[in-house]
Amino acid sequence: MDSQPEPVSYICGDCGMENTLKPGDVIQCRECGYRILYKKRTRRIVQYEAR
Amino acid sequence: MEKKKSKANQHDYESLHELFKPHIESFDYLVDSGIETLLSNIHPVEIHDSITGRTLKNILSKAFHSSHCFDLLILIGFISVLRPSELLFMVLMLMFVFLQCRQAGISYEGKFMLEVFLKNDDALLPSISEQSNLTYLPFSLHTSLCHLRDCDPSHLLRQKEEATEMGGYFIVNGLEKLVRLLIMQKRNHPMSVIRPNFRERQEGFTDKAIMIRCVRDDQSSVSNRLYYLQNGSARFGFWIRGKEYLLPVGIVLKALIDTNDLEIDASLTCSYSEEYQGRKGAVATQLVGERVRIILDEVRDLSLSTHLQCLQHIGEYFKPVMDGLENKNHSDVGTSVLRDYIFVHLQKNDEKFNLLIFMLQKLFALVDHTAAPDNMDALQNQEVLLPGHLVAIYLKEKLQEWLFKARRTLKEELQKNGKKFDFLSVVHIKKVLDKNPSKNVGMAIENMLKTGRIVTQSGIDLQQSGGMTVAAERLNFLRFISHFRSVHRGAAFAGQRNTSVRKLLPEAWGFLCPVHTPDGEPCGLLNHMASTCRITSFFDSQGNVKDFFKIRLSILNILAGIGMTPSLPKLVRAGPPLVLSVLLDGCVVGSISSDIAEKAVSHLRKLKLFPSSGIPEDLEVGYVPLSFGGAYPGLYLFTSPSRFLRPVRNISVSSNGPRDIELIGPFEQAYMEIRCPDGGNGGRRDGFPATHEEIHPTGMLSVVANLTPFSDHNQSPRNMYQCQMAKQTMAFSSQALRFRADQKLYHLQTPQSPIVRTAAYSKYHIDEFPTGTNAIVAVLAYTGYDMEDAMILNKSAVERGMFHGTIYQVETIDLEDQKELSDQAQSLFARSNIETYSSIDVDGLPYVGQMLHPDEQYYSVHNTVNNSTKTFKLKGSEPVVVDYVAVDGGTKQKHPQKANNRSLQYVNIRFRRPRNPIIGDKFSSRHGQKGVCSQLWPDIDMPFSGVTGIRPDLIINPHAFPSRMTIGMLLESIAAKGGSLSGKFVDATPFPGALNKAGEESSDSRVDELGPLLASYGFNYHGLEVLYSGVLGTELTCEIFIGPVYYQRLRHMVSDKFQVRSTGRVDQVTRQPIKGRKRGGGIRFGEMERDAMLAHGAAYLLHDRLHTCSDHHIADVCSLCGSILTATIMQPLKKAVREIGGLPPGSTPKKITCHACKTSKGMETVAMPYVFKYLAAELAAMNVKMTLHLGNGAEALIECRLSN
Repeated sequence: MDSQPEPVSYICGDCGMENTLKPGDVIQCRECGYRILYKKRTRRIVQYEAR
Repeated sequence: MEKKKSKANQHDYESLHELFKPHIESFDYLVDSGIETLLSNIHPVEIHDSITGRTLKNILSKAFHSSHCFDLLILIGFISVLRPSELLFMVLMLMFVFLQCRQAGISYEGKFMLEVFLKNDDALLPSISEQSNLTYLPFSLHTSLCHLRDCDPSHLLRQKEEATEMGGYFIVNGLEKLVRLLIMQKRNHPMSVIRPNFRERQEGFTDKAIMIRCVRDDQSSVSNRLYYLQNGSARFGFWIRGKEYLLPVGIVLKALIDTNDLEIDASLTCSYSEEYQGRKGAVATQLVGERVRIILDEVRDLSLSTHLQCLQHIGEYFKPVMDGLENKNHSDVGTSVLRDYIFVHLQKNDEKFNLLIFMLQKLFALVDHTAAPDNMDALQNQEVLLPGHLVAIYLKEKLQEWLFKARRTLKEELQKNGKKFDFLSVVHIKKVLDKNPSKNVGMAIENMLKTGRIVTQSGIDLQQSGGMTVAAERLNFLRFISHFRSVHRGAAFAGQRNTSVRKLLPEAWGFLCPVHTPDGEPCGLLNHMASTCRITSFFDSQGNVKDFFKIRLSILNILAGIGMTPSLPKLVRAGPPLVLSVLLDGCVVGSISSDIAEKAVSHLRKLKLFPSSGIPEDLEVGYVPLSFGGAYPGLYLFTSPSRFLRPVRNISVSSNGPRDIELIGPFEQAYMEIRCPDGGNGGRRDGFPATHEEIHPTGMLSVVANLTPFSDHNQSPRNMYQCQMAKQTMAFSSQALRFRADQKLYHLQTPQSPIVRTAAYSKYHIDEFPTGTNAIVAVLAYTGYDMEDAMILNKSAVERGMFHGTIYQVETIDLEDQKELSDQAQSLFARSNIETYSSIDVDGLPYVGQMLHPDEQYYSVHNTVNNSTKTFKLKGSEPVVVDYVAVDGGTKQKHPQKANNRSLQYVNIRFRRPRNPIIGDKFSSRHGQKGVCSQLWPDIDMPFSGVTGIRPDLIINPHAFPSRMTIGMLLESIAAKGGSLSGKFVDATPFPGALNKAGEESSDSRVDELGPLLASYGFNYHGLEVLYSGVLGTELTCEIFIGPVYYQRLRHMVSDKFQVRSTGRVDQVTRQPIKGRKRGGGIRFGEMERDAMLAHGAAYLLHDRLHTCSDHHIADVCSLCGSILTATIMQPLKKAVREIGGLPPGSTPKKITCHACKTSKGMETVAMPYVFKYLAAELAAMNVKMTLHLGNGAEALIECRLSN
């Protein structure tokens, strides 16, 4: 739980600002104070079945 | 409230908004003036302190005002009227944006604040109005208090809503709920009924009665009945708190006004005249005089003669049941009984007296068979219960309950410490009142919307207490609309064996759709309003609240001008057929000579068309003409809200255009002459010329039924099936898909606009949410895979994207809810960094866009107290894609200040399940022709056209047509082929010939309109083409009917339904396989299947199914005592250890002994179902011993014996 928690990026549901939150942070947009944030799409390679 | 319409774009979706009006307008009325009227109708509460002799009293009134701002907006209450001695209710509003409500699973509601004013003898105490006295009231979307009211589509889009958002529903705990429209008895109209169960009421009752449902201004209602007795008298019945009370009608008559026997006799017998006996329309007979004598004798026998005596008699009788009138004298109690329970829609006792006289006359006419009974199942005698009105009734009930409870607590306080309790101290009273939090009022409303159940003591005169609300599913747009257009007959009728209520009656023409009703259980009970049908409201066409008093006054003035004799102060001494009674909203306002009645009616109808006349456009002029034993004649006028209404053209006025559109109701429609503009006269006789004309016959169909192309060429049940299937279609579900958090959402990836469409398709903007695909359909028997409604899909067409779809499923995880109350621990989403995860991100949530497989871990929860981490696995059998992960930092709390410190505890994870067509998925055309995909056939093996080389997307069997007679589908195919060749959409509105004026002949059939277009492009006139076999390359021996047909993909998919199992979980008790698809259970091989097996002599298979594959068990049975329960395994005392050569210790043979016989000599193994052993154990528990006599063949025996 300890060693340098990586921040995760979220996008504000209202203004679209990108927020990076660390574990334990309050879930709120820094720009507009909106409380519903959407997680950003992963940068990992995702593979879908194309059939 | 001002209803300013922003001009720009507002009219874009006007036709859609029109459909939802009943839901919105009724709620508008509630916040507009409904709360005010209901508060003024709540009974005041009085508390008397016997020690000080002081009385604490209140009367209710209210003040209300609203203003807007953004997001969490607060509308501040404002006191406009402040009378002393009042308990004031003030309303404060606080709102969340809907998107937030849906996403966070909370309710969209406003603050409703109560301000309590108390009057102590004469001094007005300061108000008690603090935050503690507020409650939350859920709101309907798009109503006048909603922040999206009158938003234009672009603004709605910016708010992340649907551009077409029509509102009309509530958001309760994140779910969209709407109040069902329920059919009610028409208000304020006396109806004659014959019901056998009236006889059982008391000794001497007959089956005949007059019923009236009286509705107050605040929409609460009280039903009154007038029963006919065998001796010729009548009893007046009404309900108080679920119990019916019966009064002799003479007492009620005398108690109402100060009258004498002579006057009562005269007003009842006046309608009879010897001269007119036996003539058309004469309803009264000689017997009336006799009956009046009996009625008056009854009163005399009770030794009551004066007005006051009758009033006191009623008061004395009802004192125990009336609330809060314990200290009043008898006549006051009597007056309040008359006020609160008898003809509550009327204020003056004179009016009530006149109505009662009218009802008696109608009752006597029913008894004498001079007038027919009214049909309560006919729409003519019905209206609808609107959402706003239901909430108003319920709110009133709950506020009254709250007030009574407040009185009780104050009284208790007074008894407990009477000396200390100070009436003058507001603080003290407030403290007591806080024991009874007003929060409960709002909670009750919210609960009602959530569960659809009404909890009440008084019954509030509703037929049902459950099922008031339903969830507004957004499976597709048509289903969503249908929810709001549906009208339910009432839950009470659903269980009835009698099917007469389900009948389609001619009275419903134009109001309820004859096609759009489900088949099966709710058939005929759940109807849908026709597309042009509206409901009257409290608002006129300009959007102002109607002033009913003014409207009635102007109607009365006009009637008096035509020649009506006003009834007040006394009734006119005559009756039908000479004069007709005129009733306006259930009040006898006068009488009109039957000669001029017809003229008066047409005059009123003309005035209805002119808004300046003072006659409202939705006035219902029910003129029941004189007849021999028909409905009771009279002129019945209605201005009330919540009546059905539809537009027709009035052809008696010359002007053509919007001016001649008249709104008519179901009551008057039955007596009107309305023709269809198809040139024919509808079989009308010459003596009755048409006065009105239908606008278009499609007006009788609902929105969904209107979308079926060429529905006038289909067999009618097929159109009904299509209405059902249209609502089950996987379609383009939502334009705001990205922001939606519905539990389950079906979405069609590649929808198309249909080539063949009806006028309603464009009118209701269905293109915003298309529901299917134009598929090239060949009608042919090919490969044998298209038998019995199976269909073959072209594999390549599917791979190109045809019918591709997805299911979006939202999983809401709230760690706050999951933790137990005593548990102090705080749980957070986080992953442990000791383990490695393939699919959990650092925040403990899945990666967005990633594919998850069944049983894969996708989120983990960290407990901060014991520092443990728990991961959760994906359920189900399908792989899913993580569509979005929304984290919520505490919009869930109603009090924002409490929400401040919420960290990662509430998430919505939306999964996307790809659902491309596979074998077993269900599809349907728009003509009730459903089928299941049986093969995805390779494109190269599909038949192809010799000329164009086109291959069909879909093959159906020709046998689907002859018995079902869906000619519309064939026409659609031809029309769509022509349409796609010419590049135009084809109009397929049913009944195109209905607008042909007389003389103009249209001889052509629909085929002859469509055929030439095909021929002009060089195609076969009838849509046939030469096809070649894709497999053999040879020409098919006959020409094949092929063309584009709009196909819908239905939501029933094999992936949700298949159930297979070889081995798996078993029941703990019986060791038989469990049931249920979700848990991996099997399908029951039941008794009937067993019978079939036996009949076939398939004993081995039977043994396999019922024993080997089920609960096969090898039991140890003691042959000495015959018991299967006494076998015990003896563990060898010493473990035999073999140390030779490093071999593993050999298993020691288990030694099984009989516990009862203390020996292992007789132990045998017998194969049997495990339940048999369980049965033995159960029997043993009941002191029955089961013994098995083992042996080969006939001597084997099972014996059960009661042991001592």
